[in-house]
Amino acid sequence: MMRDMKILNQDFLIYRGEGMERKKTYIEDVDRGIYDVKNELSYKYKADKGLTPDIVREISREKNEPNWMTDFRLKSLEIYNSKPIPTWGPDLSELNIEEIITYIRPDTEMKHSWDDVPEDIKNTFELLGLPQAERESLAGVGAQYDSEVVYHNIRKELVDQGVVYMDMETALIEYEDIVREYFMTLVPPSDHKFAALHGAVWSGGSFVYVPEGVDVDIPLQSYFRLNAPGAGQFEHTLIIVEKGSRLHFIEGCSAPKYKVNNLHAGCVELFVKENASLRYSTIENWSKNMFNLNTKRAVVDKNGTIEWVSGSFGSKVSMLYPMSILRGEGARSEFTGITFASKGQHLDTGTKVVHAAPYTTSTVNSKSISKDGGYAFYRGLLKVAPKAYGCKSTVSCESLMLDNESISDTLPIIELNNDNIDIGHEAKIGRISDEAIFYLMSRGISEEEAKAMIVRGFVEPITKELPLEYAVELNNLINIELEGTIG
Amino acid sequence: MITWKRIRLDNFLFPKIYDYKKEFIRLEEELPLGIRLDKIYDTIDRTKINWLSTNEINGLGKEFISFVNEFYNSGISLYLQKDIKINKPLVIEFNMDKENPTVIDKNIIVAEPNSEATIIFHYSTDDDIEAFHNGFTEIHAKENSTITIIKVQRVNSLSHNFDTNIAYVKGEGKVNWISVELGSHISGSDYTTFLEEEASESNLSSIYLGDGNRKMDLSYSMIHKGPRSISNIETRGALMDNSKKVFRGNLDFKKGARLSKGAEEEYVLLLDPTVKSDSIPALLCEEDDVQGEHAASAGQISESQLFYLMSRGLSEREAKKLIIEGAFRPIIDRIPLEGLKQIIDSEIERRLMNA
Repeated sequence: MMRDMKILNQDFLIYRGEGMERKKTYIEDVDRGIYDVKNELSYKYKADKGLTPDIVREISREKNEPNWMTDFRLKSLEIYNSKPIPTWGPDLSELNIEEIITYIRPDTEMKHSWDDVPEDIKNTFELLGLPQAERESLAGVGAQYDSEVVYHNIRKELVDQGVVYMDMETALIEYEDIVREYFMTLVPPSDHKFAALHGAVWSGGSFVYVPEGVDVDIPLQSYFRLNAPGAGQFEHTLIIVEKGSRLHFIEGCSAPKYKVNNLHAGCVELFVKENASLRYSTIENWSKNMFNLNTKRAVVDKNGTIEWVSGSFGSKVSMLYPMSILRGEGARSEFTGITFASKGQHLDTGTKVVHAAPYTTSTVNSKSISKDGGYAFYRGLLKVAPKAYGCKSTVSCESLMLDNESISDTLPIIELNNDNIDIGHEAKIGRISDEAIFYLMSRGISEEEAKAMIVRGFVEPITKELPLEYAVELNNLINIELEGTIG
Repeated sequence: MITWKRIRLDNFLFPKIYDYKKEFIRLEEELPLGIRLDKIYDTIDRTKINWLSTNEINGLGKEFISFVNEFYNSGISLYLQKDIKINKPLVIEFNMDKENPTVIDKNIIVAEPNSEATIIFHYSTDDDIEAFHNGFTEIHAKENSTITIIKVQRVNSLSHNFDTNIAYVKGEGKVNWISVELGSHISGSDYTTFLEEEASESNLSSIYLGDGNRKMDLSYSMIHKGPRSISNIETRGALMDNSKKVFRGNLDFKKGARLSKGAEEEYVLLLDPTVKSDSIPALLCEEDDVQGEHAASAGQISESQLFYLMSRGLSEREAKKLIIEGAFRPIIDRIPLEGLKQIIDSEIERRLMNA
């Protein structure tokens, strides 16, 4: 009975649609407003296209790096040249790395006061809502423009407590010992081809060091942005949270679109020590020609906690699987992620959790939305080592499809190597139910708004984990993405 | 040479194949008119199965299937005429022994519209011989037909077992699979169902028991092509000693499968710290108006259940056995052959009590 009604209803919708001009347009026609503002290019230095040991040496020399780093880069280049492009995931054949300029330095020196930042750069950030956020009680803003951090500030009381928050280049000079001890030990260049590429040409990024027993009560933020056509971005983020400390780090990305294929191969390494806790929040919103091949990894010691909050929007292709290695007894990881794939996008995202010690726990909560022919793929791994008894894990994946041109796949791999564990996994796929829409419409809400409400409700577990201004931005992004779908 | 990473099959070579000389069709009474049951090498009428699209078949892999097609030494071809229904199950029994150590069976079942049948395949080994089984079964269930296939695999721990099963289901047709995996040193089995047309349906229930050094790769795929098609996968297992299992459950909603529903569920009891259990449940979707769900869970027998049973005077082993049998019971009860049920029960009991 119900089903018959549904069909009638659909027929009616089609009929109604014929007489009217439908609002259905695609994202590329929609003005994404502030997200598509680009500036006139101005360079001080630009590396040649392609990648040779000479270029790598040049990058290193330009940055006045210590010899060990130059050697590290050259070694990584060797590994990079020896590794094949991975073929198990999305199609990367359109990615011509030789064409991508690996190093562009903006025509600006490091500034420590907002007033000194050049006007055009400032304008873009202003449109992105950054300075307001900075002025309103936030600790520090390290905004990356092209390949280097151009603006950087951290509140005085944090400095007094010994918290270090600076760009990676400066950290390499001022905290050389710490950087040398940790740099690319968690994500070695031998891990995969793009980790090796990162090792060879990395540039910019953030360095955070929280000493023992410090509770950083306000989130640290950095906003990355790509600007030059054909420019890759290879920022490196290294965060060390010592025993008993606490930190919330927020990374957000937005980039205007360009015709040349772009590559983002960043690397994030997080070290969470005993009893420490780190929350790492990201909204990635790359332009729709970007290849986002980012590697993020955290290692957690005894009773430590890592929390990932991850929003993946934009980009042409994404391969992003933040990984948590729970190596200390009682360590905990929590992953909350949302992926939104639209026209022309193939977003292959997920998370990996390795339970390497007893009594470790993990939670994965992943949501994906696909529309207008977008392809959302959840690929996850949950692995429990033989000696990691008493582990608990819950994995939940939900997918929402907004039309039948899109594709949504879920592939969670579970590998268990002992018996004293408690593992639960569930996944669901489907579309917005007609009943729910009908109910909301019967309350006087328009069909468009009803659908938007349901989608916002679907992603609510993610938005509520974010600070207010980011939650607002995420909701805006969803509204921009939904524009044109519903109508 | 075949390498199969997850179940540690390294550079595997197919053994020499001998003739299978024993009778494998067990008929207690005459089959009614309208049914043709033959040994595979007697007749295969390819014209009856014109919608077969072999390039879609993956099964355990091209190597295994083409090996069967070239070297089969046994198997059946079953043809059910329109409207023919048989209530009693047909029993096909392969028992490997010293003289007949290899079974390469190729089975084709064609069910014309509105027909119905249940076929039981029982694979076992007699002695402590190294047996080898590699089979390929294809089913064509036409409009409104119902085919139930029950496969019981009890070959010994020295043997290798491989089995590929494919079904094509037409409008309102239904294919039910029941798989009981108890034996073999290394066992790979694959069940793939193509739900081709409107309201086609498939249900798969399976149980497995891993003990000793047993390694199993169990793969179940439901490929929804027709609208309103329905599928359900339900798997229960227990692992002990150094056994390893890989579970792959694929729900694949192709474009056009609107209003379809698919569900899969796996539940595994882990009984020893040395077991290995991999689960790869995939949910693939090209159509928005569908409902797909999968759930997997793994854990130990709950302490409170054990405590309760032991407080009633059962030993720990007996209590565990009772709990595992309880998990398997609903699926074993669906086998419509008393004698075989008893064989399965006593086999499970023997394994659990000797552990």
